[in-house]
Amino acid sequence: MAELPQPAEARPPGRVVLPPHRERARRPFADRARDWARHNLFPSRGGTLLTLISFALLVLLLCGVIWYVFFGADWSVVSSNRWLLFAGSFPRDEEWRLWVGVAVVFFMIGVAYGLWSRFNRRDLLFVAIASAFLIFLMAHGGAAAWSSIWFLVALALMFGGYVVAVRIPRDNSRLRVRANRIGIALIALALPIVLLILMVGGGAVSTDFDGFVLNVILAPVGIVGGLVVAIPLAIGRASSLRIISWTCTAYIELVRGAPLLGWLFVALFILDDVIGGSLVVRTMVVLAVFTGAYMAEYIRGGLQALHHGQDEAARAVGLSRRQTLQLIIMPQALRVSIPPLVGQAISIWKDTSLVSVILPMRELKGNADSAIAQTEFIADRIEAYVFVAVIFWIVAFTMSRISQRVERAQGVGER
Amino acid sequence: MAITERPSSLPPAAPTPPWHRRSVRNQLFQGAYLIATALVIVYVINALNLREFGFGFLGDPAGFAVPNQWLIDYDGVTNSRFVMYLVAIWASIRVMLVAIAFATIIGVLVGVARLSSNWLLARMAMLFVEIFRNTPLLVQIVLWYAILIVAIPPIGEVFNIGNAYYLSNRGIAIPWPVPDPGWWNAANWLVWVWVALLAAAGGAAWWVRRGRIARERDTGQPHYPNRWAFSLFAVAALVTFIALGAPVSIDKPIIEGTHYLEGMIITPEFAALVLGLSAYTASFIAEIVRAGIQALPTGQSEAANAIGLTGYQRLTVIILPQALRQIIPSITNQYLNINKNSSLASAVLFADLFFVAGVFQNKTGRALEMFVLIIVTYMLISLLISAVMNVINARVTTHRV
Repeated sequence: MAELPQPAEARPPGRVVLPPHRERARRPFADRARDWARHNLFPSRGGTLLTLISFALLVLLLCGVIWYVFFGADWSVVSSNRWLLFAGSFPRDEEWRLWVGVAVVFFMIGVAYGLWSRFNRRDLLFVAIASAFLIFLMAHGGAAAWSSIWFLVALALMFGGYVVAVRIPRDNSRLRVRANRIGIALIALALPIVLLILMVGGGAVSTDFDGFVLNVILAPVGIVGGLVVAIPLAIGRASSLRIISWTCTAYIELVRGAPLLGWLFVALFILDDVIGGSLVVRTMVVLAVFTGAYMAEYIRGGLQALHHGQDEAARAVGLSRRQTLQLIIMPQALRVSIPPLVGQAISIWKDTSLVSVILPMRELKGNADSAIAQTEFIADRIEAYVFVAVIFWIVAFTMSRISQRVERAQGVGER
Repeated sequence: MAITERPSSLPPAAPTPPWHRRSVRNQLFQGAYLIATALVIVYVINALNLREFGFGFLGDPAGFAVPNQWLIDYDGVTNSRFVMYLVAIWASIRVMLVAIAFATIIGVLVGVARLSSNWLLARMAMLFVEIFRNTPLLVQIVLWYAILIVAIPPIGEVFNIGNAYYLSNRGIAIPWPVPDPGWWNAANWLVWVWVALLAAAGGAAWWVRRGRIARERDTGQPHYPNRWAFSLFAVAALVTFIALGAPVSIDKPIIEGTHYLEGMIITPEFAALVLGLSAYTASFIAEIVRAGIQALPTGQSEAANAIGLTGYQRLTVIILPQALRQIIPSITNQYLNINKNSSLASAVLFADLFFVAGVFQNKTGRALEMFVLIIVTYMLISLLISAVMNVINARVTTHRV
């Protein structure tokens, strides 16, 4: 064994020399900030010009938005129509049911984050800003201060669930396995639980769902129903049995061929003769059928991304066809297709706004239309629609954030 | 250890019943499935009561007209509903074409900006994407419409430049060339002269292009065959057109009461629809472009830097052409979405095909027929978009060295 080479020169006394990137990090903050700015903002003459133009644009935008929000806009259309926008014709006496539902959902979000992820500083900032916005919305003008108390209780439940769930060790202990199962069961049962809370024992009936509440109920029904439709469709399309794969393909292409508005048209005018039921139920069916066709395509993508060795190995160890699908193929295919599936979920959340374009149902956007139809708010269309856009945005953005977290926790994209 | 022979101590094996065989079971299963599907279809057809199904009602006049038509003057009395439906399809296609163009340009710019080394620019691009992607398109469209209606002065206080260009909340009206109907008919021999001249120009352009491609191949220097050929053709078409007397008249818009007449009118409904569709789709295209660029190996950028290309050259010559291979299929999907999302025109009462179909349904009660018509129309347009994009895709992915 040869002698290890000795360092050519002695280290400077009293100071350990670190690798270059750590050396750079050691310099005073002002130096680092200057270097960062030179690299990322002012690299060249053109780059500096670009930065200045973007900066001017940003300042202009910010000033415009601030001016509009605080001085230009008249938000009374929103503050006088809070109940109309959020719950519409939902019976006022049953408001507590809505809040219990919110509390359950928040609790589940907290548990899920605690089990499979962590709140980081940005999450907390977002939760704080969104909560402050919503509490301001509910409390200002002196209307029903106790609804903000309900909201705070729901927030407390979320963090309570989080604190409990985050303590469960992340290993392979039985506690952990059980906790994972309970968490998944909670998420799977969230929708029926909330619907039960809203409707059981003399609560709301399906035609009471209105305004934001209608969006919040239609979207999960579309998502869950879509998944239920999509999984057999995807398997059917990938099947080696010709007739089954052809009919599944035909179904998927037919549904994807027409816009959602067209299918809502079917729910309104045509489906009544075929399946009957109330309009809300028909709309739910149509949403599930529509989402299912898109989700089936994403799941098929996941199926195709799997190596055929998985199937062969499963058969080789003697699993039946059903076992192969259930234990080997579907879990992996679904994991690969999580990102597009969540994209579709966000898309269906946004698409619930289409319900009030042709159907005699009023969700958030439809109730905003009713609000600006009142004579005193006829000039406040922009305010009403900005508000609607912000509410939709908060939910969609939260969904996309959660999905990014799920992807990271599930190791999507890694094999 | 392998068992090759059945031990004689066991009783003789019973013959396998046929329904244990996989192929037989598959056939049985498919048969059952087919019967179930057929039953469902029969039930649906029965429930729909198809005895009166038919499209004869499309031949009757609709009894109403839509504003701002193109191609033909539809009056709702002498023309049939079917003609009106064609007019509405053309209105939809106009929205789609403009939205596709804008969405692509904005989307590519924002997608590239998101990967810019300029921190501020990248953040602003991200802001754009997050805002427009997470808001319902419907709400965006009605919001644009509200802004256009409220922020722009009403037609009483119209913004007027030289009695030719107008801006008010009835829209923008600008002068527009209109072909001279006296000149444009098949009996006029000058039309055929022009067609012949165009054909000659096309042949010349093709010949020039071929020559330049050959020279490019021989010398290794760029000779821009497509640019030359296209410019040659365009100049020739324009010169011959003017030489033959330029048989178009410029229609100047005029205001009559609360409406524009003549000229090219861009209504606020159209503008809101196009703005909404473009911004919304651009946010998705930006993400597609970003993913496509990020999927390239970093060595491509580094090599481009090493041979001294500028940032712009690096992007247009090295990065984007390669990223296009991954980008185009996803962008095609977005174009198909634009096709379907254009049905949201109903929200601002723009007379697109879905809106007109809804009005027909309202007047005649023929819901099923109208739905069949809608779905067939959207599918045909989708097929058209897919076909065009497939051609483009084949070109950009095979035209490589």
